[in-house]
Amino acid sequence: MTMNRFALTLTTLILMGCGSDQDATEAFPSIDNTAEVMAFYETHADFFRAGSIDDLPEDLVWEDGADLPEVGSPNAKKGGTEYVRLADFPRTLRTVGPDSNGSFRPWILDSTSMALAHRHPDTLDYFPGLALRWAVDVDSKSVFVELDPKATWSDGVPITADDYRFTFWFFRTRYITAPWYNNWYESQYTGITKYSDHLISISIPELKPDTDSKVLELRPLPQHFYKEVGDDFLERYQWRFAPTTAAYILKDEDLKKGRSVRLTRDQNWWAADKKHWRYRFNVDNIHLLVIRDNAKVFEAFKRGDIDQFGLNLAEYWYEKLPETDPDVAAGYIERKWFFNERPRPPYGLWINTHQPLLNDQNIRLGIQHATNWQLVIDQFFRGDYSRLKTANDGYGRYSHPDIKAREFDIERAAAYFKAAGFNQRGPDGILQRADGTRLAFTVSSGYEALKDVLTILKEEAAKAGLEFRVEVLDATAGWKKVQEKQHDIHFSAFGYSLELYPRFWETFHSDNAYDKAFLDTGAINPDRKPKSQTNNLETLAIQQMDEWILQYRTESSSDEMVTLAHQMSELHHDYASFVPGFYSGFFRLGHWRWIRYPENFSYKHASGSQEYFVHWVDEAVKTETLEAKDSEKTFAVQLQIFDQHREAP
Amino acid sequence: MFNFNPQTQKKLARFRKIKLGYYSFIVLSLMLALLSVAELLVNSRALVVQYEGALYFPTYTEFHPGTEFGLDYTYETNYRDLAAHFDQTDSSNWVLMPLVPYNPYENDATDSIMRPEAPNAARQHYLGTDTTSRDILARLVYGTRTALLFAFAFMVSVYMIGIVVGCAMGYFGGLFDLGFQRIIEIWSNIPFLYMVIIVFSVIPAEASIPARITLLLLVMVLFSWTSMTYYMRTETYKEKSRDYVAAARVIGASTQRIMFTHILPNVLSTLVTFMPFTIVSAIAAITALDFLGFGLPVPTPSLGELLKQGTANLRTAPWIVTAAFGTLVLILSLVTFIGEAIRESFDPKQFTLYR
Repeated sequence: MTMNRFALTLTTLILMGCGSDQDATEAFPSIDNTAEVMAFYETHADFFRAGSIDDLPEDLVWEDGADLPEVGSPNAKKGGTEYVRLADFPRTLRTVGPDSNGSFRPWILDSTSMALAHRHPDTLDYFPGLALRWAVDVDSKSVFVELDPKATWSDGVPITADDYRFTFWFFRTRYITAPWYNNWYESQYTGITKYSDHLISISIPELKPDTDSKVLELRPLPQHFYKEVGDDFLERYQWRFAPTTAAYILKDEDLKKGRSVRLTRDQNWWAADKKHWRYRFNVDNIHLLVIRDNAKVFEAFKRGDIDQFGLNLAEYWYEKLPETDPDVAAGYIERKWFFNERPRPPYGLWINTHQPLLNDQNIRLGIQHATNWQLVIDQFFRGDYSRLKTANDGYGRYSHPDIKAREFDIERAAAYFKAAGFNQRGPDGILQRADGTRLAFTVSSGYEALKDVLTILKEEAAKAGLEFRVEVLDATAGWKKVQEKQHDIHFSAFGYSLELYPRFWETFHSDNAYDKAFLDTGAINPDRKPKSQTNNLETLAIQQMDEWILQYRTESSSDEMVTLAHQMSELHHDYASFVPGFYSGFFRLGHWRWIRYPENFSYKHASGSQEYFVHWVDEAVKTETLEAKDSEKTFAVQLQIFDQHREAP
Repeated sequence: MFNFNPQTQKKLARFRKIKLGYYSFIVLSLMLALLSVAELLVNSRALVVQYEGALYFPTYTEFHPGTEFGLDYTYETNYRDLAAHFDQTDSSNWVLMPLVPYNPYENDATDSIMRPEAPNAARQHYLGTDTTSRDILARLVYGTRTALLFAFAFMVSVYMIGIVVGCAMGYFGGLFDLGFQRIIEIWSNIPFLYMVIIVFSVIPAEASIPARITLLLLVMVLFSWTSMTYYMRTETYKEKSRDYVAAARVIGASTQRIMFTHILPNVLSTLVTFMPFTIVSAIAAITALDFLGFGLPVPTPSLGELLKQGTANLRTAPWIVTAAFGTLVLILSLVTFIGEAIRESFDPKQFTLYR
C-alpha cells in the first residue's frame, strides 16, 4: 500500500514534470466561439445559406474523376521510416498567421492534407479527395459538392458541411492576423449553401475557365478543434497540432524543440483504401531532422542519415555525386533526372520601387542590362538551367509568348544610367552623379546556397558601373526582410502551385504595395506607406495594372484572360522592376537504393519527386544494402533520365 | 617613454638566443611586410603598363577604363588580356603583371564552367581555385591580411582599455576597486557571441565593408577587455607598495605620472607575455565568426569563409581546405612560438632578488 502510494506520487511528479509544456497551453481561459460563429452566419445570411435537396438544379452534370489513373504504384510497400532534412525548426504548428508559412507547413498541410479534389499530376483533371462527386452550375456560378460520408478527421470526428461553413468564418476573422486569407475568402467566394450534412454548394463571383478549382481545392478546418479561436488565437494555437485529413499525424512527444519532428502514419486514416490515395503515403514514420547547414545535409545524406537528396545544383550532380562516386558506382545510391512541365518559380531580382533611385525607371532598366544572368546560367549552372522570360513562365498560353528578358549589355545599361544622371565613373569604376551619389544597391537574399550567384552578378555589374552590395541572410530573416519591404533588391522566388493561369493580384496590385496608394482623385498619395506582409515585393502600384487585374479577376472567357495576362506581362516588363533570372526545367534526385519509386518515377506536372508521396521504403533492401556496404558487394549502377516531358529550349 | 634600459636589452638578447621564437618573429615580420604591399604581389592590376610611350602604374591609382589602352570597353581594364593583346599585336607596348595576376573577387573559369580547380602553375593559380573559380592564393593573402590587421587592432584596443582600467583599480584600490570589479564581473558574463549576432542583425546593409569590420572589432573589444584588467590590477597592487612608488609620491609626482611612468614599465613584462596569445585568440575568433557566417560580409575574402568552403567540398576539392587550414596553422604557430620565446625571455623570475 505504502509502496503503491509512493509509486503513485512518483508518477504524478513525473507527469507534472513532463506536463509543463501542456500547462502553458492550458493556461488560456476557455472560450467557446460557437455563439459568435452562429451570429456571424446570421448577420451574413446571404453568404451562409441553407437549402433543401429539392432546390438542387436538375440538369447538374456530376463528375467524380473515378476514371483517372491511380497515383502511385500498386507495388508500393507500407512501412519503414524515412529520414528527411528540415531546414529550420517550425516556429509554430499553426498553418495560418505570422510565421506559419515556413518550410515545415507542407508536411502538415500543403503536401499531405486532403482537399475536396486534387489535380491529377499527369492530366491536370481532378480526382476526388474529400468529395465524392461534384458539378458546376453555370447559372448560379456555383459548384455543387457531395462530400464523402466516410471522411473523418484524424481524431475520428466525421467531416461534415458545417466544417466547410466554419472554414469561411475562420479565414474571414481578424483573429488569425492573415490579411491575404481575409481578402481571398471575402473576395473570391460569394456564398456557401448547406443542403445536408454531406451536400454543399459554394458560389464564386465570376465564372472562370477553371471555376471548379477554386472550390475543389478548398481544405476544410475542424470546427470542434477551433472553437477556442479568439483574440489570443496566435498564442493559444501556437503549438497545437490540429486534427487533420492527412495520412500523417504529429504526436506531442514527437516534437523535439529545435531538433526534430516525427510524423506518424495514421493507422486509422479514412482514405487508406481509397483510389488515387491507397498507394501513396507509404512510409510509416517520417523523421524530420533539423539540419540548417547545406553542406552538412549532403554529408548526412552520404552517411545514410537522410535517405534522399535533391541534386538540382550542378555542383552536386557533376562534382559531389558524379557517376564515379564510390557509393554511386557501387549502386548504393541511385540518381534520377526528371524533366517536368509546370509554372516556373520566378527566380530573379525583385526591385523595391519604393526605395530612392530605384523608383527611377531608367535606373531599373539599367539594372536589367547590367545583370549577367546568362553567365550565371552558362558557367555556374553549366547550361542546365534556362533563362526566365517573365515572372509568370510555364502557364502555357497564359504566359507571354514573345517577351524575352533583357540581355546583359553594358552599353545600353550605361545609356540608361546616364539618363538618370549617373554619367561619370568614380575612382573605383562605379558610376556617380555630379553630387557624388554612387550607383550602389543592396542585393539581399535568404538563399545561402545560392550566394555565389550574387557574387558573380556583383562582379559583372561592376563592369557596367553598378555596385551590388551582397547581403546573405538565413532563410527566415531574408523572407522577413522582404515581407517588411526593407529591401532594395531581393533575390528570391515564389513556389507556385499547379494552376491553370497565373495570379497577378498578389504580386502586382497596388493594394498590396501601399496602405493607400492613390488618392480618391487618382493622384499618387504623397503620404503612402509600403504595406508589409504581402507578396508585392516590388511595391508596384500602377493604376492601369490595377484595372487590368480587376478585369482579369472577373473575366470568364479564357481568350480574354489570355489577352489581359499578356498585357499585364508587357506592362510589367516595361516597368522593369523584376529582373528575370533562371528556371530549371527539371528536378534531379539522389537516393539510397532502399527508397523505391514507381516505374515512371514522377509526373509531368510534379515539382519534385517527394511531392506526391509515391515512394516507399523497402526495409529488406535496406538491410541488404547496409550488409553489402560492409562486405563491399556492389549492385548495378542506376542512372535514369526521364525526358518524355522535356520542353523545347 | 620606453627607453631600452640595460635590463630590457638583456631581455631582448635572451629573446634572440631562443632560436625558434626569434626566427618565427623574423618570418612573421617578413610576412607582415609583404602583406602590407600585397597589392604589388597579388593583383589583377598590372604593376607597370607601357602604352604608346607613356608609363602607367595602376596598382594604387584610380581605375583605368579599357579605352585608355585602346580597348573597346569602359570598365576596368583586364590587364591579363591586355598583356595577351599586346603580345599578339606585336607592338612595343608591354605589361608587367604581379606574381599572382588575380584579385580575390574575379571568377576565372578555365573551360567556362565555374568549379574548384586544382593548383595549376601554368595558369598561375598556385593554390587552385575555389567553387566559383576565384584564385585561392589571392583570397588567402587578402583574407590573412585582414585577419592580422584585425588582430593587431584588437590587441592594441584591448590593452589600452585593460591597462588603464586595471592600473586605476590597483592604484586607487578601496571602493573604486571593489565597485569596478563587480561591474567587470557582470559585464564579462554577457554572452559575447549572441551580442555579435544581435549587433550584426541590426547593422544597416548600406554600411560599407570597412565600417562593418570596424564595428565587429568594436563589439569584440567591448567584450574582451575585462580579462586583461585582472592581471594589471594585481601587478599594480604589488608595485604600489614598493618603496620607489612611495618615493615618487613624496617628491610630488602626479598620479598619472606615477601610474604610467613608474609603475607601468615595471609591470610590462606580464603584458608582453600575453600579447601573442591575445593575437592568436583574435585570429581564431574572427575566423570562427566568419565560419559561422557572422563575420565579414560576402564576398570579402577571409580565412573562415575559405575554411567553410573547404569543409563543404572536402571530398571534391581538398586543396581549398588544405590551403586555408595550412595558413591558419602556420600563422598561429608562428605567433605562439614568438609568444613562448617572449614569455621565457621576459620572465621576471629569472632576475628576481627572491630567487
